[in-house]
Amino acid sequence: MNENNTTLKVENVSKHYGDFTAVSNLSFDVKAGRVFGFLGPNGAGKTTTIRMIVGITAPDEGSIELFGEKVSNETQNRIGYLPEERGLYKKMKVQDQLRYFAALKNVSRAEADKRIDFWLERMKLSEWKMKKTTDLSKGMSQKIQFVSTVLHNPDLLILDEPFSGLDPVNVEFLIEIVAELKAQGKTIIFSTHLMETAERLCDDIILINKSRKVIGGTLREVKGSFSKNLIALRAVGGSTVLEDKSLVAKIITHADEKEIELTENTDAQTLLKRLIENGASISKFEQIEPSLNDIFIEKITETNA
Amino acid sequence: MRKFLAVVKHEYKKIVLKWSFIIGTLLFPIIAAGFAVVPAIIFSIKGEPTRIVVVDQTGRIAPRLKENLSAERMAAKATQAMKDSMKNIDAPTDERMKNSAEQFVESFVFTDYNAEEKSLEQIRRELNGKIIEKEYDAYLIIPNNFDAADATFEFRSRKAGAFAAERSLKDALNQAVRSERLAKANISEAQLKDLSKNIDFDAKSVDEQGDEKDSDSVFIASFIIGLMIYITLAIYGQMILAAVVEEKETRIAEILFSSAKPFELMMGKLTGVGLAGLTQLAIWVTSALVLVGIGVAQMSAAGMNISIPNISPLMVVLFFIYFLLGFFIYASIFALIGSMVTTVQEGGQFSFPPIMLLLVGFYFSFAVIRDPNSQLSFWVSIAPFFAPITMPVRILAETPPAWEIALSIFINAAAIAGLIWLASRVYRVGMLMYGKRATIPEVWKWIRQS
Repeated sequence: MNENNTTLKVENVSKHYGDFTAVSNLSFDVKAGRVFGFLGPNGAGKTTTIRMIVGITAPDEGSIELFGEKVSNETQNRIGYLPEERGLYKKMKVQDQLRYFAALKNVSRAEADKRIDFWLERMKLSEWKMKKTTDLSKGMSQKIQFVSTVLHNPDLLILDEPFSGLDPVNVEFLIEIVAELKAQGKTIIFSTHLMETAERLCDDIILINKSRKVIGGTLREVKGSFSKNLIALRAVGGSTVLEDKSLVAKIITHADEKEIELTENTDAQTLLKRLIENGASISKFEQIEPSLNDIFIEKITETNA
Repeated sequence: MRKFLAVVKHEYKKIVLKWSFIIGTLLFPIIAAGFAVVPAIIFSIKGEPTRIVVVDQTGRIAPRLKENLSAERMAAKATQAMKDSMKNIDAPTDERMKNSAEQFVESFVFTDYNAEEKSLEQIRRELNGKIIEKEYDAYLIIPNNFDAADATFEFRSRKAGAFAAERSLKDALNQAVRSERLAKANISEAQLKDLSKNIDFDAKSVDEQGDEKDSDSVFIASFIIGLMIYITLAIYGQMILAAVVEEKETRIAEILFSSAKPFELMMGKLTGVGLAGLTQLAIWVTSALVLVGIGVAQMSAAGMNISIPNISPLMVVLFFIYFLLGFFIYASIFALIGSMVTTVQEGGQFSFPPIMLLLVGFYFSFAVIRDPNSQLSFWVSIAPFFAPITMPVRILAETPPAWEIALSIFINAAAIAGLIWLASRVYRVGMLMYGKRATIPEVWKWIRQS
């Protein structure tokens, strides 16, 4: 595989704990320089998969390749992992903690100090450098944890629910930083169950449930494949066209507009053409896309059934 | 290796730069110095001299009494009492009290009293008045018939009850009267001195090489060594437990495990904390040696002949080796417990078994001190878990043959290898298990599976 192209390649990976299967025959690729949404409900196997990627555990079957190599201590140094449940040493100064985490990623002391100053400045936390964790607010310590994830300038960033517990201002702030990192060519795996955020940030997504992959691809593809040919229409006239059963499968009438479900082989353009030909005056004609949230709920209920 | 060293450095600094460590490390020598020096200072403080009137109707006892209570005599007596108290550390409390009281150097100021033409009644009244006016502190009336069986020596003092001076006075008086009786029996002062000289009781034990050593000081030194190792092992074991639980509780373990191998992390932690322990112990041992040196110098200056146990540099090295053996044995057990439990409190309950083992080892060290060459001493100084405490004690009490030390080091090193193998397996699974304490069957499964 070309390293420039694929950062992470997960192939037919399974992981069992006794009789319990945490991950079952999972495959997906993460392309370099993109934001990859790793989605799924609690207990779907996300954390187990991430732990295998960062080299905490090894898969029972299948293989994981990072930057074109097998998972190893070398690949660990190129990953920044922010676990969902995380903490800091309670009685240690911010600077000392960050130095330690950087040292564990093989960053020299001088280099670490430079980057600590840069990132604390960026997070507007410079004056907290010599303070202990117990003096920090929850939001501050979360930002410090984020700093510890990016200190060693990793090529791949794995963020597991990075925004939980942050106020909206700080969420926007972190999203901005994630966008910057993406612009620098970093690959970002983003695990969450906040579908609105995922929809905003992710280029590609995968949805897993009960240890298996449910759906995956670019955000556009996924949404496209879920498009049910729904049209929101506000028009005067053209009612004969809408009664044509070969075109329209179903009509739901709202207060001032109609939601029209087209038959399987009908193109939205055909309907629009026919309406205009029929002399209808159209003030709104919009293809309705399902939200990621809708897809999530539908797919999860489907696979749970 | 670089990461391992980073962990070692982190753990070492975390402990050594803490106030509690700095204070604890410095406090021990200060307290020890206090125990050694403060009593000596207190004993050397002279109380107000007791002003005493001696009414000697015979004129024969008073001069002897004054000589017995002279400053030189009193100092010599206090020194003897101190020497005795050093030798009898297991003497009953009342005897020790008596002994320490005697270490005070009492001083007396005598005033002669002209008793001519006065009846005893008159004398008493007059002197009682002077005592009330605080002109004198006490008076002593030596009867004419001091030699008779029913002779009564009247001593009246302003200070109520038994004050230390009273004892000294009584002893001196007894001595004076005895001397006078002997003189009457035509025994000269020189003869008397010769006859009443104390014997010199020189108690030393003989070891297998036929060398003599001072048994009292060996006993004390062995006990201190055993106690020191026991305390440091217990403290540093608990530190490991707390450090492991903190990383598990705060989920830092997840970040650590994504950066370095669990084995590297665990060994780094054990090594870092172990080095911190070694630092503290080295400071303690050095200061103890210095203090003992100063103490011995002082005592020999005071004319006492106290020998210190012969501690060779090899013994000190062995002592540190055994500390490290003990540390790695108990620290790996505590690390295993730490990765099983969810909170420090829970860990506290589970640390009972290793603490128990340590305590048993400490108790065995008494048996070793009593008889370093017994079968029991041999076995407990070789057995894992106990040897780190009992062997240094045994080496000091009576150095066993080199092969026994080698065997003991080998067995304990093997125990460490096994324990670390076990602990690292439990550690790498347990550290990522949140929510509930692992059960023993679960832990057993982790050990077999991973």
